[in-house]
Amino acid sequence: MTDRRRIFLLLAPALLILGGLFLGGLGLTVLRSLRYMPALGLTVPDLSAYRAVFASPGFLASLTLSLWIATASTLIAASLALGAALLLRQSFPGRSVISFLVQLNLTVPHIVGAIGILYLFSQSGAFARLAHAAGLIAAPGEFPALTHDSFAIGIILLYVWKELPFITLVLLANLQGIGEDYESVARSLGATRWQSFRHVLLPLLAPGLIAASALVFAFAFGAYEVPLVLGASSPKALPVLAWQAYTDTDLSTRPKAMAMAVVIAGIGLGLLLLGFRTLRRGGPNAR
Amino acid sequence: MTTLSLSGLRKSFPGAATPALQDLALSVESGALTALLGPSGCGKTTTMKLVAGLIQPDAGDIRLDGQSILSLPPERRDVAMVFQNPLLFPHLTVAGNIGFGLRMRGIAPRKIAEEVEEILVRVRLQGLGDRFPTALSGGQQQRAALARALILRPKVLLLDEPLSNLDAGLRDEMRSLIRKLQRETGITTLVVTHDQAEAVAIADQIALILEGRVAQHGPPQDFYQRPVSLAVARFFGGVNFLPGKVAGSAFQSALGALPLPFDRADGPGILTIRPEALRLGPGPAAMMAKVVDSSFLGTQSRVGVTIAGIRLEALVAPETARALTPGTSIGVTLPPDALWVLPPDALWVLPPDQAGVSPDISTA
Amino acid sequence: MRGERWRLIAGVALAAWLILPFLPLAIWSVAHGWRFPDLLPQELSSKAWAYALSARAGVLDSFALTAGIALATTCLAALIGVPAGRALALYQFRGKGLVTLLLLAPAMLPSLAVVFGLHGVFLRLGLTGTVSGVILAHLVPVLPYMTLVMAAVFSGFDTDFEAQARSLGATSLQTFRTVTFPAILPGLLTGALFAFLVSWSQYLLTLAIGGGRVQTLPLLLFSQSSAGRNDLTAAIALLYILPGLLILIVTARQVTGRGAALARGLGG
Repeated sequence: MTDRRRIFLLLAPALLILGGLFLGGLGLTVLRSLRYMPALGLTVPDLSAYRAVFASPGFLASLTLSLWIATASTLIAASLALGAALLLRQSFPGRSVISFLVQLNLTVPHIVGAIGILYLFSQSGAFARLAHAAGLIAAPGEFPALTHDSFAIGIILLYVWKELPFITLVLLANLQGIGEDYESVARSLGATRWQSFRHVLLPLLAPGLIAASALVFAFAFGAYEVPLVLGASSPKALPVLAWQAYTDTDLSTRPKAMAMAVVIAGIGLGLLLLGFRTLRRGGPNAR
Repeated sequence: MTTLSLSGLRKSFPGAATPALQDLALSVESGALTALLGPSGCGKTTTMKLVAGLIQPDAGDIRLDGQSILSLPPERRDVAMVFQNPLLFPHLTVAGNIGFGLRMRGIAPRKIAEEVEEILVRVRLQGLGDRFPTALSGGQQQRAALARALILRPKVLLLDEPLSNLDAGLRDEMRSLIRKLQRETGITTLVVTHDQAEAVAIADQIALILEGRVAQHGPPQDFYQRPVSLAVARFFGGVNFLPGKVAGSAFQSALGALPLPFDRADGPGILTIRPEALRLGPGPAAMMAKVVDSSFLGTQSRVGVTIAGIRLEALVAPETARALTPGTSIGVTLPPDALWVLPPDALWVLPPDQAGVSPDISTA
Repeated sequence: MRGERWRLIAGVALAAWLILPFLPLAIWSVAHGWRFPDLLPQELSSKAWAYALSARAGVLDSFALTAGIALATTCLAALIGVPAGRALALYQFRGKGLVTLLLLAPAMLPSLAVVFGLHGVFLRLGLTGTVSGVILAHLVPVLPYMTLVMAAVFSGFDTDFEAQARSLGATSLQTFRTVTFPAILPGLLTGALFAFLVSWSQYLLTLAIGGGRVQTLPLLLFSQSSAGRNDLTAAIALLYILPGLLILIVTARQVTGRGAALARGLGG
């Protein structure tokens, strides 16, 4: 058997499934978003669904909200994860407990975390009760709206909670690969502790950090169930808006739903390529 | 020119059975190239890291020109270390790597560029400054790492096994480059190595570390001609050892009384002679021996003989060895000026084939 | 030392933040009416747990269904992902970058990007509303992870072992069974655990393809949550994280390696 045939046979099932389902699903979404539906006699693709989507104020508000959620969550989670990874790299009492919690958190489904955050931060949640006990508020309504709020604070808190461990684990694995020798070299060449972090460790970690952050951004931008539990009714996060348009009894909104899905896919794909390129370019682990 | 002195250094690592260093004391000659020699795991690299300030000792002191540097962080010690792996920062170009230390000091970029250009020539990397480290060969990477430390003109330069990652040919080239640059700059330099031949070839002074202590410190030839202990002699390839005692100006052993050309207090000791100093063939003071085995080593042959049940090894020219098949009788001479007496060693045990053999002296 | 103390404080803060959302879930699951502004429930009760674990609530059925779907998805993903991972790790070929991207993208892109189109495809195939349809849909996010982990495993595998076995007279099947499979088994288990958890956590794909007829735990959880049954919701939520916790405890070492494997995949 030649190598080419062997490679083809090894890859064929995976390509068939993912090509068929993923590319098929994506392709159909794109076609439908262009209002190409031969069964209904629509054989000339057009951009009217996109025009309608971008013209509607609800869409722009949702897009902005989703971008805000993804940006804020990613920045906060990534910076905290950097700190957490540097902390967990050293030895101190209780490190194994924290490592266990970090890993545990990775196995918890988003929706469970979202409900936990809801019970903590809602206006009748645990923190509101503590505020009442401290005499800060008299009724639930006086507690600041942290869930179902227009700044999506609850959603961001959930993503910070859930994605911090993910980025931390990626960074810890990278740190293990980098070792401590590069920093030792830097120190013996006269770099201070801060300089060796800033000029040596951080650039070496950057590819992993950027790739993990890109994944977190794409997820926070496109996830459905978290804003469903924690989001405000208006504006809705983009995925919730798209799903609503898709399941509307009025079938004419479906192309708009498809168009929104394409926008989400496009932004996700762009980030994926960005992460891919960063990884290809540098880092001690990328050969 | 800077004098580096280490005193009473102790260091143990958690989980390790024995301490890496116990009571290490060493005074490194100013402006010289000193080799820290020892088997792997003897604490050489630990010593370097202590001097560089990358780890802290459990006890002891490290002084530069009499000033303790223990409390200083690595970046303020003026000690630059080159690691066994080149460890060039992969995100910086070769020039960026070499200029790293100057940049950390806040030197102006233009000045850095000038100095980098200059040193690139000296380590024969001219024109490669814009490359990234992965585009360099192993030898080039090692030279860039050396330049990265030298450009800082440190008071002390530490080189950890600088040749171990190189092929044989590149090794000679790098060795003479290190030698040349060290002579030109006069920077007090400490080179760690596990290879005694390499230490002899590169260093002005050798400090042999065995079991976390300095076993002997001095010029290379001393380790061959005047080792201070059985362990040192063995590390430098000594094979001929003869138990006995010093009495008057002679050494009493299974081989009878051998006159010593130096004074030594009476008492038990171990007589040693380098295999290359042993002479085979007839002679006025030759003792009759029996050839046991012989092996061809290329430029020399190793011949094993027994006299009175004592095994001795000699390194001789291959043409001499050719006639010496096992069983042949031959005269053996131990030239008096090649003899050396080691202190008795509690750990020394006779090889099994010599244990319990009664002395049976026959002189020719 | 001062650094030591700061490290400890930061560690405690991190641990507290990680564990915080579980606390109200644990309390709610044993609370009997926990009204604002009570800091703790007036009365504790095992009612929610008793109901959740009873046959009529359907929680256990849903648990079994979710686990069954995740197991089936994992097995399929292993069968398909092992050869694909091998091809990616051990061969160089034209278009490898594109193939890699295609094999990884579905895990990285939000499900929402494909779910509408997938729904359309499955409608035509008559797979909507069926368990097999849901399993097939779960392969979209699961298979990439399996492939990624297996690629990392195979990149550390020396094929000379196989050549050695063949030269000693083993058939290719014997070689796989006795040489290759034992070598990749630890990695395969890691990938399988990961695959299981990814399928176990799916919400949107199950909702869209199952069309409400395939009621997995997250769907049940959401409907209880929107119905305002906090005690029951909390009990189901805790049941829902149980497999992950068990997997973590049983295979602490492998799961640590999972992060590493994932990151290696990212770095490869």
